[in-house]
Amino acid sequence: MIGRLLIALFLLFLLGPILLVVLFSFGSSALIGFPTGPLTLDWYRALWNDSGFWVSLRASLVVALATAVIATLTGTLAALGLRRLGAGTARLLTGGLALPVLMPPLVVAIAIVVLVVRGLGLPLGVPVVVLAHVLVTQPFVILILLARLERFDPAAMEAARDLGATEWQAFTRVMLPQIAGALVGAGLIAAAISLDDFIIASFTLGGGNTLSTFTWGKMRTTLDPSINAIATVLIVLTLSLSAVALRLARYRG
Amino acid sequence: MTERVGRAWLLLGPALAVLAALFALPAILLFAVSFWEVRSFRLSPALSLAAWAGIWRDYAGLAAYTVGIGLAVSALTTMLGLAFALAVRFAVRQGDRLMIAVLITLFGGYLVKIYAWKSILGADGLLNQALIALGLTGAPLQALIYSRGAVIVALVHFLLPFAILPLYAGLRNVSDTAIEAARDLGASRAAILWRVVLPQVRGGLFAAIAFTFLLAAGDYVTPMLLGGPGGTMLGQFVLLEFSTNFDWPAGAALSYALLGSCLAVLAVLAAVVFGAGRQP
Amino acid sequence: MTAADRAGLSAMADRAGLSAGADRAGLSAGADGAGLSAGADGAGLSAGADGAGLSAGAAAAVAPLLRLDGVSKSYGTMTAVAPVDLSVAAGEFCAILGPSGCGKSTLLRIVAGLVAPSTGRIRIAGEDVTQLGAERRPTNMVFQSYGLFPHMTVAQNVGFGLSLRRLPPAEISARVAEALALVQLDGFGARMIDRLSGGQQQRVALARALILRPKVLLLDEPLSALDLKLRHQMQEEIRRIHAETGGTFLFVTHDQGEAFALASRVVVMNGGRIEQQGTPEEVYRRPATRFVAGFVGEASYLSGRRSGGVVALGAGPRFAAPGPDAGVTAMIRPERLRIAPGGLPARVADVQFLGPTTLVLARLPGGEVLRAALGDPQPGLSAGDEVRLAWDPSDVWVLDD
Repeated sequence: MIGRLLIALFLLFLLGPILLVVLFSFGSSALIGFPTGPLTLDWYRALWNDSGFWVSLRASLVVALATAVIATLTGTLAALGLRRLGAGTARLLTGGLALPVLMPPLVVAIAIVVLVVRGLGLPLGVPVVVLAHVLVTQPFVILILLARLERFDPAAMEAARDLGATEWQAFTRVMLPQIAGALVGAGLIAAAISLDDFIIASFTLGGGNTLSTFTWGKMRTTLDPSINAIATVLIVLTLSLSAVALRLARYRG
Repeated sequence: MTERVGRAWLLLGPALAVLAALFALPAILLFAVSFWEVRSFRLSPALSLAAWAGIWRDYAGLAAYTVGIGLAVSALTTMLGLAFALAVRFAVRQGDRLMIAVLITLFGGYLVKIYAWKSILGADGLLNQALIALGLTGAPLQALIYSRGAVIVALVHFLLPFAILPLYAGLRNVSDTAIEAARDLGASRAAILWRVVLPQVRGGLFAAIAFTFLLAAGDYVTPMLLGGPGGTMLGQFVLLEFSTNFDWPAGAALSYALLGSCLAVLAVLAAVVFGAGRQP
Repeated sequence: MTAADRAGLSAMADRAGLSAGADRAGLSAGADGAGLSAGADGAGLSAGADGAGLSAGAAAAVAPLLRLDGVSKSYGTMTAVAPVDLSVAAGEFCAILGPSGCGKSTLLRIVAGLVAPSTGRIRIAGEDVTQLGAERRPTNMVFQSYGLFPHMTVAQNVGFGLSLRRLPPAEISARVAEALALVQLDGFGARMIDRLSGGQQQRVALARALILRPKVLLLDEPLSALDLKLRHQMQEEIRRIHAETGGTFLFVTHDQGEAFALASRVVVMNGGRIEQQGTPEEVYRRPATRFVAGFVGEASYLSGRRSGGVVALGAGPRFAAPGPDAGVTAMIRPERLRIAPGGLPARVADVQFLGPTTLVLARLPGGEVLRAALGDPQPGLSAGDEVRLAWDPSDVWVLDD
């Protein structure tokens, strides 16, 4: 009984603040607080008319898509490679590949900026952001794929070869269909992480905005509750991506 | 056999290339930069310890303070996360579904969550409104926000899923039969928890502690928005050195100092978590 | 009275005994056991406190060590165990035998205290323990998947129960060494569990339970995870340990051979109910129901009718068998059939040389199948041949339909 109460309180604490933000994005009062006043879409309308919003949304989606595609590619290949190595080596490499996620994003971003700007003399911009995002999302892709591959029966591949398939055919017709769910799921997770990222993007984008940096700008300069609206948009995007991804990858702990 | 291994490295190529180009190389360069100098606003390669000496002089105290906050957040988050993970593992069925609810919050809303706490803890925020409405206080409590307490609350809230997940994963591997056997041999619930369950989740425990500690100690956005003058953390000053002062060597040195302190603390924590409680 | 009549009588006595309480059944089983097990076949029943079956009866007459009265367990509308009475005497090795899902594991867990019964009382050494949890009961269990603690060494696992009771470390070490010697794992104390083979892990689980000197040791299909050779080895081990410790063991299994090899008393369960209790011999030669007959061994089943104390089989033979007028089934064990000129004519359907025996399946004109396990090889026999199969009248067992 205590267990259930604890769990309920927890979920309240965990999800409460987010739900509040969503709630107030529909409120008509200028301040955060109850009563919210009649429900309205005013803030969303303001957002709709704000060109800055659309530009940053587009940039975010482009970056997220590119990140998802590239990270899924590198991560899946890496997972396939790790499977063939001995346990010790594999663990070491996985740990190494996961390092960028454990380091403070601030330091990771700054180091990249220093290399690109000072070391290579290249401009910052979307390509740098995408590569930086791939760096921090590929570990997640690797983990998801490794978990899926563990449940994959290698005898199926051997049977395919025995029946006359080439390696490529065996891969595309036997393995790929089975891990497709995990692949797409991993890609969506990478996209969600990319969309949500603020710190790395703010350093590596140079000029312009992604949705996160746009939100940050608004948070620094204004006090109006339209921030709730844009925050809600951000949450909805990332949460739905995560939800679909989890269903596809059939999360099991 | 070697053909397999050779192929493995080929497959790992792209991912490792990204790692090398965008992590290893920048890290090395950044480390090198910490030994450079800034003369009249121009960065020049050198071999000098000036930056390091400077940050030791200016930031040693803040570094300790930041590590302290990181540890506090980590301890709180891990304990709460453990309580939650235990409850989900043992008190309910369909624990996996609940975990999905927790997981979903993991990847969404870093800025949003901080902003939400701003709305809740602010002078005209929800908490104050509630307290006033309930008659518990006459005037809004200013101290709720722009304080180190606010920073800790927001960080704990953000980092809870990061702690819960490895803990739950570890708990899932504890066999129910072993627990039944412990009961059969006469163990009370406390004994079962302390002597049978927890020792088996050391790995998950350390992962939770390490992850939350690293992420908390390195954060700068939360203290920036919620910390006020009393709740500053090292990350903010790394940013300052780079963006405002253009003192890249100092920023680089500070970054590595932060990393170094974190790793030192983690080494100690690892010794504690994996060494403690060895039974006779 | 023919032997068949006597056998029929004791079957009735057994069945009567079942419903009125296990003690009487135990008594009559003991009385018969003394007579029939004079030529103790298979099972090596000589070891252990039961001797030639006499003491089983004698022990049952004294207050049983473990006693279940009307114990049942239901989950909502699903009944896992129908109300059951069971008594186990001190020093006895009792096996609960039955197919998956028959409720035997549930019953064992009820005795252990891991599951609370819906009705009934459990008494151990005269004390009512129904309300006690598993932690406090004087029972200990060896689990099917062992339930060893992976983060502890063998010695720590075995000594766990003692350390909970806060015994001084010196005494714990001494008793752990003693327990390890009992299961023949001397010197394994410092090993980690994951470095042990299945059989070794089994022994650790045994030692961990035995070290606490429980009044009743419970074993939940502990050997099912082992391969055949290892299983036979462990069966001998467990028999030896039982003889050495003189403890009371309650063992659950779905393997008839295992139950017969280990136990002096077998309880056959099906669908949550106890269908028969008795020595392995009784259960095998005088099964109470068709289910028990089929579960503990192969047999030929011939249908017939009894009227006026005489059974007439559809296949032809008639013999005296006291009982009410009803449809009946005659059961004959395969090893009791032999080829003889005066036997029933049948057509061979299959011949299998199994090594020690030759299995012959033959079909009677009426369609019923006879299974014979012949001791001599039958090189000239093959499918399609005509044979004549006969049996002694005393080898027939009559089951009411």
